[in-house]
Amino acid sequence: MLKPYDMSGVIITGPKSLQEKVIKELYNLKVLHIVDHSKGDLADIGAPLESASRLSEILVKIRAIISALGIKKEEIKFELKNDLLEIESATRKLNLELNQNLEELRKIEESISKNESARKDIEVLRNFDVPFEYFTAYKSLIYFIGSIKGNALSLKEELSKSTRKFLLFDSETKKRNYIVLFIDAKSREKALDVLQKNNFLAINFVNSGNLKGTAADNFKKIEGELGKLQKKKKDIKRRIENLGITCKNFLIAADAFLSEQLEKAEAPLKFAATETSFLIKGWVPYQDLHKSIDILNKATRNKIFVHFEPAKKQDKVPVKLNNPKIAKPFEFFLDLYSIPTYREIDPTFFVFITFPIFFGIMLGDIGYGLISLIFFWILKRRMPKVGNLLNVLVIASFVSIVFGFIFAEFFGFEIYHPAVSREHEMFMLMYIAIAIGIVHVNLGLIIGFLNEWKSHGLVHAIYAKASWITLEIGFALLVLSSLDKILIAPWVGATFLGASILMLIKSEGFRGIIEIPTIFANIVSYIRLAAIGLTSVILALIINGAATEFFHKGSFYFLAGVLVLTIGHIINILIAWLGSFLHSLRLHYVEFFSKFFYGGAKKYHPFGIKDE
Amino acid sequence: MAADLGTGLIALAAGAAVGLSAIAAAMAEKEIGVAAVGAMAEKEELFGKGLILTVIPETLILFGILGAVLILRLAGG
Repeated sequence: MLKPYDMSGVIITGPKSLQEKVIKELYNLKVLHIVDHSKGDLADIGAPLESASRLSEILVKIRAIISALGIKKEEIKFELKNDLLEIESATRKLNLELNQNLEELRKIEESISKNESARKDIEVLRNFDVPFEYFTAYKSLIYFIGSIKGNALSLKEELSKSTRKFLLFDSETKKRNYIVLFIDAKSREKALDVLQKNNFLAINFVNSGNLKGTAADNFKKIEGELGKLQKKKKDIKRRIENLGITCKNFLIAADAFLSEQLEKAEAPLKFAATETSFLIKGWVPYQDLHKSIDILNKATRNKIFVHFEPAKKQDKVPVKLNNPKIAKPFEFFLDLYSIPTYREIDPTFFVFITFPIFFGIMLGDIGYGLISLIFFWILKRRMPKVGNLLNVLVIASFVSIVFGFIFAEFFGFEIYHPAVSREHEMFMLMYIAIAIGIVHVNLGLIIGFLNEWKSHGLVHAIYAKASWITLEIGFALLVLSSLDKILIAPWVGATFLGASILMLIKSEGFRGIIEIPTIFANIVSYIRLAAIGLTSVILALIINGAATEFFHKGSFYFLAGVLVLTIGHIINILIAWLGSFLHSLRLHYVEFFSKFFYGGAKKYHPFGIKDE
Repeated sequence: MAADLGTGLIALAAGAAVGLSAIAAAMAEKEIGVAAVGAMAEKEELFGKGLILTVIPETLILFGILGAVLILRLAGG
């Protein structure tokens, strides 16, 4: 559990005629982590199988239909006939139908907008009793349609000064006065003058050139037309929706199936290839190695060649973490941060031990722990996708209940005399926190020591990591002996200190000296275990105090007390969850991992497994 | 505890020691944090390094706490 699974490097070569069969077998085996081949002097990358272009064509159409119909990806059970021809023809039919409907929709929307602009124009003229046929070119008449700012009466008076041969219709609306003016063609100039003086704005009717009858009639006609068009639009939309519902399962299943086929068809892009042969390079877990080779040889009748060897020192090996089932959820934290390299110790198990303890110390309440446990347990059913994180939180909640018993806290109330009282024995809590810090940081240093020993030898390990431990011992001895707490002379501590500084300079250069305060800062950083715990306790005390005051006051205040209690404790729990989770995690990532962790390895992702 | 001016000033001094060093550390971590998040947005693997770099200035607070403890000891003893 402290090391990832053993990996063997494999090289598979064979004639191109067997390439497709090998790909199919590898996909079903799901154990080979392929190392992509980059174009080199010896060989180019392979060309995709012939089915690839057809597959991607159909896949693109299907994905376009899925997004046009607004279908969401979900878990479905659908029996898909694995016949490419059938899928292709079904897709084509679906595409045709969808496009027909979309085209119809577009045409209707176009005519709706045309009708709506015509309606706007006609609305203006609705109040004039002038039939549209009158608005045509005359020999001796001209007409103006538009709006003026002034009063129609004054307009009439002004026009009468020049000529009597005119007819003026007007209609007042809230904003402007609309007029229709028929006037003798000879008085055109004078009319324009008068109209301009009254701020005349002409209205252009583009859409009503061919209408007959009065505006009022046409208005009614257009409203009717618009109503019919809207209804048709709704029908088409409903038809498209139904299309989506009936074909949803087929589309999702086809998408998944075709993506799988396409992945297999494009696999040769990762291989090295010559004119007649292909070469695959990758990693297989040692436990699956021989079984896979047997299966491959049987499928290709021993006509391919497989070469395997254990990992060499400088190889970049993909890492498949190996942890017992209860610690497996904590791999989530390693995924979030960085995967440990193949040769270093996998810290997941240590995180499994200490993360819930830190979380528990900061939460440390039976009531809060119970609520957390129930909440995260129920959430685990509803959201299986974040199952790892929720499992971590369930384990952590359980440990907080244990600490709740140690601190004897139930929603902030001290229900019996506890081993350690967070409220009254503040300093004891801080000492415990610092003690945990010393243990955790030194655990990190020991793990780092073991890692360095394995990779660079004992001497290097001593200079790099044991130097820090010596520093701590020296410092402690010096302080304790100068305070006369122990019977060791001060110079012993001083020598330890001096020796450690020399070792540090040897391993990290003079920069190492600058890092000396860092380790003390890291240890003191653990005091946040006490601090966050205390803030949670004191908030709970305040809430409880306020509630008891209300309860003592009387019958009506009882309700207020209950309200304060529920809302207060809910807020306190949320703050506690956030704080405990983040700070426990930070203590691991920064204070613990920085003592030994390198990371940066690639995660094991075998050919055939879909997760990203 | 007698609440005279001397005790008050001592308490103020200890509080200022921690508080001001905390403000300094916060200002430093703010800048580093902004850069770290920006780098992480482009390259997810930098999360670990970014986190460690962001919390490097925590040592400043340690010195503040040390100062506060010394002040309190000086006054108390």
